[in-house]
Amino acid sequence: MAAAERAAPEKAVDGKADLILRAVKVTKQFEGLVANREIDFEIPRHSIVSIIGPNGAGKTTFFNQLSGVYHPTEGTIAFENIDISDMAPHEVAELGVARTYQNIRLFRDLTALTNVSVGQHVRTKGQWYAAVFQLPSVRREEAAIEKRSYELLEIVGLRRSMADVLAKNLPYGDQRRLEVARALASDPKLLLLDEPTAGMNPGETRQMTEFIGQLRRDLDLTVLLIEHDMKVVMGVSERITVLDYGEKIAEGTPAEIRANPRVIEAYLGKQATA
Amino acid sequence: MTDWIAFLRRNARLGLIGGIVSLYLAAVGIVLAFSERNVIVFSDDVSLTLGRVMLALPPIGIGYFAARSGGGIPTRLTAGLLAGFVTGLVQGAGLLVASALSPQIRDVLIRITPELISFVSFGLDPVVGAVLGVAICSLLGLAAAAIEVTRAAVRRPIIGGFLAVGILSLAEPFVRPRLQDMDLPNVANFLYQDHGLTVAAAVLAFVAGAAIAVLWKPSRAAINRRMAAADPGQQRMVRWAWALVVIAFLYALPVKIAGPFLTQVLVLVGLYILLGLGLNIVVGFAGLLDLGYVAFYAVGSYLTALLTSPNSSLGIGMSFWVALPIVVLGTAIVGLFIGAPVLRLRGDYLAIVTLGFGEIARLLFLSDALAPWLGGVQGITGIPDIIDSGTYTLPLIGEVSGPAATFYPLLALCAAGAYFAYRLKYARVGRAWNAMREDEDVAQATGVNTTNFKLLAFALGASIGSLGGAVFATHLESVFPGSFVLQVSITTLAVVVLGGMGSIPGVVVGALVLIGLPEMLREFAEFKLLVYGAVLVVVMILRPEGLLPDVGRRRELHEAEEAEEVARTAAPSQAS
Repeated sequence: MAAAERAAPEKAVDGKADLILRAVKVTKQFEGLVANREIDFEIPRHSIVSIIGPNGAGKTTFFNQLSGVYHPTEGTIAFENIDISDMAPHEVAELGVARTYQNIRLFRDLTALTNVSVGQHVRTKGQWYAAVFQLPSVRREEAAIEKRSYELLEIVGLRRSMADVLAKNLPYGDQRRLEVARALASDPKLLLLDEPTAGMNPGETRQMTEFIGQLRRDLDLTVLLIEHDMKVVMGVSERITVLDYGEKIAEGTPAEIRANPRVIEAYLGKQATA
Repeated sequence: MTDWIAFLRRNARLGLIGGIVSLYLAAVGIVLAFSERNVIVFSDDVSLTLGRVMLALPPIGIGYFAARSGGGIPTRLTAGLLAGFVTGLVQGAGLLVASALSPQIRDVLIRITPELISFVSFGLDPVVGAVLGVAICSLLGLAAAAIEVTRAAVRRPIIGGFLAVGILSLAEPFVRPRLQDMDLPNVANFLYQDHGLTVAAAVLAFVAGAAIAVLWKPSRAAINRRMAAADPGQQRMVRWAWALVVIAFLYALPVKIAGPFLTQVLVLVGLYILLGLGLNIVVGFAGLLDLGYVAFYAVGSYLTALLTSPNSSLGIGMSFWVALPIVVLGTAIVGLFIGAPVLRLRGDYLAIVTLGFGEIARLLFLSDALAPWLGGVQGITGIPDIIDSGTYTLPLIGEVSGPAATFYPLLALCAAGAYFAYRLKYARVGRAWNAMREDEDVAQATGVNTTNFKLLAFALGASIGSLGGAVFATHLESVFPGSFVLQVSITTLAVVVLGGMGSIPGVVVGALVLIGLPEMLREFAEFKLLVYGAVLVVVMILRPEGLLPDVGRRRELHEAEEAEEVARTAAPSQAS
């Protein structure tokens, strides 16, 4: 519980603060199934916020709408005051939203370094014809990409010797780190992390939580977490939104969420009340 | 106890597979057809024929494979022996059944002739032949297992020796006439007799192959060490020197070394290298499984024909080099048109639709409706040669004509295509394609505009393929729809997969093996597809990543580190 105390938020952020992302009455319907129902959701700039909820609560569906994979059936999502509701994922990425995946999805047969280099795609320009003729601009850019890729690997704590290892051959924890490095490579303003500690042991989980906090400080990021593990969420986030059956049932600081009877009932279930 | 039974079952099953393969090879007629080709000639009437080798390969392969199991050396040797024995049993059983049913069996299996039965039973009584066969197969299985279990230092030269004998023997149809042409009949007679190797030549080839295998690794390591120790200027000089040697070799190859027949084969290989390089962009880099790639080849050919042939409906008779940029651009646009409708399709669906596009292209070229422009079945004739009506003079080489006249421009285009592909591969484009191949959704979430990059892959892949089409048209001096069948797409894909998806040197090796090798066995052309299939299956089992897999670019930095390490370890030995 030490982590929870240390990361206690400076102050509850009110709705009128500088918002980096704002979702208004987002509803997502698949055929008959309503996966998200009228969710209002805001992310203040430079904060770490979390979405939690039991399995099947609609967390990942909501997440996918923020990154452009799905488009809301109703409602709007604005990032930096730009409506991204109907944008394709690569357009959202270009605006400055990067994400990771619950089940790690690296480019498995590419090296760690190449994975990170691909991450820089939106921030680089090199055209194919320029590459064919090896124009000076391309040479410069390639050198910069390589340098930046090594930097990013270092930032997430991957050893330099791992740079040429195929992503699929990296140990599990390093794969998670590499995925974060790839996301960071696009210089995002908003980083979406889908269960970043899934499958990690308590030690690794604590490292990852600290790492998230450190990222925000060092890279001027805003972070949205989806989590299953209550401890991670309580420790690191300033605000928590709770989804259940596709609806938002609570929102507030970790302390408020911990005390909220609906959350305890819906999410924590009997273990918590017992 | 159960281990023992599992051991028996495993190796008996392997032996059964080997036996079935043997029976199949015999029943389709390969064994008998190949029995006319000598591998090694011992005396005027005793020789080892390729047919005999075909019968020996299954027990050898199975014995080798059987010995790759775990366990001690005696266990593995027994495994090889057992698998070879079972292979022999199946062969023998097949022989006995066939001879009992002969000649009626030919009503069903027409290739099982009395000659085949006599060949398989060594001209002896079938029962004796079968017993002898079992004994030989067992021994071969054991021998193969013995080779498998020995240390690499012993195994490698043995395999290298056998490979050298096989290659030199198979190359007889090319090498012997060339030696005659070059006024070296003594060498030819020393090496070959009755279209097979002489014993002396076989021994020599074996020793040479073994020696190369022994020296290969250490000398490469030594060269690398020396290279690493040299300063950058020297390194560059060595690289340039190497490049010059390769260029000089290729320059002399068609006229001075290969001769017209082999050059013809090399032209075919070159065409498939161009096709392979183009398809490699689409399939290997971007992961878009295109089974209709022949369409781009056809469009390249027809555009060239239209623009350069005075007989075509356009009748403008442009020169090849003026037409080429238009051909490339035109085919790239066709690539966009084919790419656009299939943007949303993935994997197998994409394969099926592109397959359809390939057929549509062929049928359009064939159609009566377009015949006034494209010539229908007759195609377009009268396409001029690439350079000066097919005969020109090169310094040091002299007059060049025939296939060699196509060889040089084709070589230049292959080099250009390879350079193009290489530059794309290690650029932002190449990485975006690779990312798309690995995981399209994630690539998009990472910011890759998958629509644009797919279209780009189709357009650029089509452009390189069109170069092949252009050369093909001028080489044949005419184009017909019949040349652009599905088989071309499949072969090109096989070239890419065999060489290693995404690997540029792999395309070259794949084309040499898949296009060059069948040409060496030209008289057995009816079994070409069978050989293809077998080569593909074997390679995919033994090296699923291809012959020359794409290992990913080794970073300069990494190389430098390694070089440093090597230099440090090498330092003491070089102190003297």
